[in-house]
Amino acid sequence: MSAIKKPNLVSLTSVNEDGSRYFLHPADVKGRFTLWRRLFGALLLAVYVLLPWIPVGGFPAVFLDIAERRFHFFGLTFLAEDLWIGFFLLTGLGFSLFYVTALFGRLWCGWACPYTVFLEHIYRRIERFIDGDATSRKKLDAAPWTGSKIVRRVIKHSLYVLVSLILAHIFISYFISIPRLYDYMQQSPAHNAKAFGVMLFLTGALYFSFSWFREQFCIILCPYGRIQSALTDDDTVIIGYDEKRGEPRGKKSDPDAGDCINCSRCVQVCPTGIDIRNGLQLECIGCSGCIDACDEVMDKIERPRGLIRYDSLNGFAGGKKRFFRPRIFLYTGFMALGATVLSLFLTTLHSAKVELIRMTGQPYYVDDSGVRNQYRLQLVTKRTEPTVFTLKLTGLPEGAVILGLDEKVTVQPGEESMKTLLVQVPKDKYKGEFKITVEASVSPGDFDLTDSIEFVGPSAYSLK
Amino acid sequence: MNNKEKQNDGVTIRDHVFDGIQEYDQKLPNWWLFTFYIAIVYFVIAWFVYYQSPAKIPNDSQRIDGQIAVIESKKQAELETMLASLSDDSLREMSKDATHLSSGKAIYEAKCAACHGLDLAANLNGIPLPGVPLNDTEWKYGHNPLQIMAIVTNGSPDLTKGMIPWKTQLSPSEIAQVVSYILSKQPS
Repeated sequence: MSAIKKPNLVSLTSVNEDGSRYFLHPADVKGRFTLWRRLFGALLLAVYVLLPWIPVGGFPAVFLDIAERRFHFFGLTFLAEDLWIGFFLLTGLGFSLFYVTALFGRLWCGWACPYTVFLEHIYRRIERFIDGDATSRKKLDAAPWTGSKIVRRVIKHSLYVLVSLILAHIFISYFISIPRLYDYMQQSPAHNAKAFGVMLFLTGALYFSFSWFREQFCIILCPYGRIQSALTDDDTVIIGYDEKRGEPRGKKSDPDAGDCINCSRCVQVCPTGIDIRNGLQLECIGCSGCIDACDEVMDKIERPRGLIRYDSLNGFAGGKKRFFRPRIFLYTGFMALGATVLSLFLTTLHSAKVELIRMTGQPYYVDDSGVRNQYRLQLVTKRTEPTVFTLKLTGLPEGAVILGLDEKVTVQPGEESMKTLLVQVPKDKYKGEFKITVEASVSPGDFDLTDSIEFVGPSAYSLK
Repeated sequence: MNNKEKQNDGVTIRDHVFDGIQEYDQKLPNWWLFTFYIAIVYFVIAWFVYYQSPAKIPNDSQRIDGQIAVIESKKQAELETMLASLSDDSLREMSKDATHLSSGKAIYEAKCAACHGLDLAANLNGIPLPGVPLNDTEWKYGHNPLQIMAIVTNGSPDLTKGMIPWKTQLSPSEIAQVVSYILSKQPS
């Protein structure tokens, strides 16, 4: 009973020879990394739960308002037309991941990935609470279906479903906001069939992933895990086993043996079922459980900690450790590019928009009185209060006539104003094409916006 | 350490070799295999439902075309009921109604005034605007209220220049309101 399956390098521990699933029951582990990981996980969960509740500038801190196509992040509002920034945001995040991975391996997977955070800090805790430690869980798994087993299973899975429901509702609240979610919850599901369907699907997906699928996702499905595995090199800090110090494994009393006493604690605590002593493997999510497990044993047998530790492959081989490598500079450069574009964009982002567009049809008219251009002036506000635009046209030669430009325009929240604008330049003042600019000072907020467009016409000679 | 033995771990290596690369003979996880079977079942059902069944379930592009046709026919129906209820007389009647006139005025000032002038004279301090004057008795394409309505809706019959069709920007009832506003400004 409870003889642990011996992991190897060529097969997945979690998949049996016949293709059936081998359910892993990682043993409890205590230690400094586990403690920090729990605290960090609790912080991430708190952020996830609280963000939709914290109002910033009249909206939840993060509110992706699908219905209005307005996306609020910490008081900044983006419209669908600002979507291009998403390219830099995503590539920036991507390169940050590259960067962290090149430096510290799959740190993301073990410490910050939502999948791991939910699994390790919620679902596995529930399982530990209901079913006991690894040994009792294994026993219960193998036991026949008695009344008490059924009761326990029902309680455990009900709690899983309950937690999945809560997590799914929080996820939905990012898109419809807490007050609307609360409204929806009091109405019949048929009223909000789409939101309800999404919520059911998410609940099902979360329940399936964390009650049954678990490490299979990280090992087989997750593309980021694969990309990250390809991003490490011999200088990347990973979790590894100091073969030089540990081998050959043997009893503590054996003077010829290395430091590893073959207690297999590192194997028992592994959530993906590998033996870290076989070296870096694709299953490893860098959770650091084996470090804490080994350190605890080393303390007990009074040998120095760190037989399993964060170190680079070069470090384990006793070679020189290098921090600065070409790829670090490359990723830093890419990250800086994304950060620059993002900050430039954010400094020019305003809660209103002014745009001068050429009217469709004939681009210009010429007659005795002069050259005429027609434009459309678009004013958009992203605010929740009426916005006043004070407008001025500049860049015009003397004697030019402007028609259709109101000095002050008030745009109601969530609306836009589209006005026709006509500019005429007398023939004798027309010296060829030039640029005109509309200057708007916007209140509330008191900032200035400008937009320019070409005033087009024939060659000035042809009018002489 | 015997590396070869450690790496095999009792798993068979298949005979074929390509570029020195060999393959272990391992089974897929059952759940993965199961997704493959589901895909086969789904294919058969979808193939039957979408391509073989008499129900003829439309694909996405047909569905979009169908919905656009519904929108178009609704617009057309609105236009037709509007036109059926409209006559020269009813438009003249509208031009005496204050609510129609105020909305007609608002639309006129937003859309038409740039070319036809705020006072309908198509003239700004002696500068002629692109449009034709609407406050005189001279009409290029007919002076009947319904004729004016047709010009606003479909634009100038001369496709090379002149006014654009407004039916893409204004609904038939909005056009009727603008026309009634213009009528109200006619010299009797």
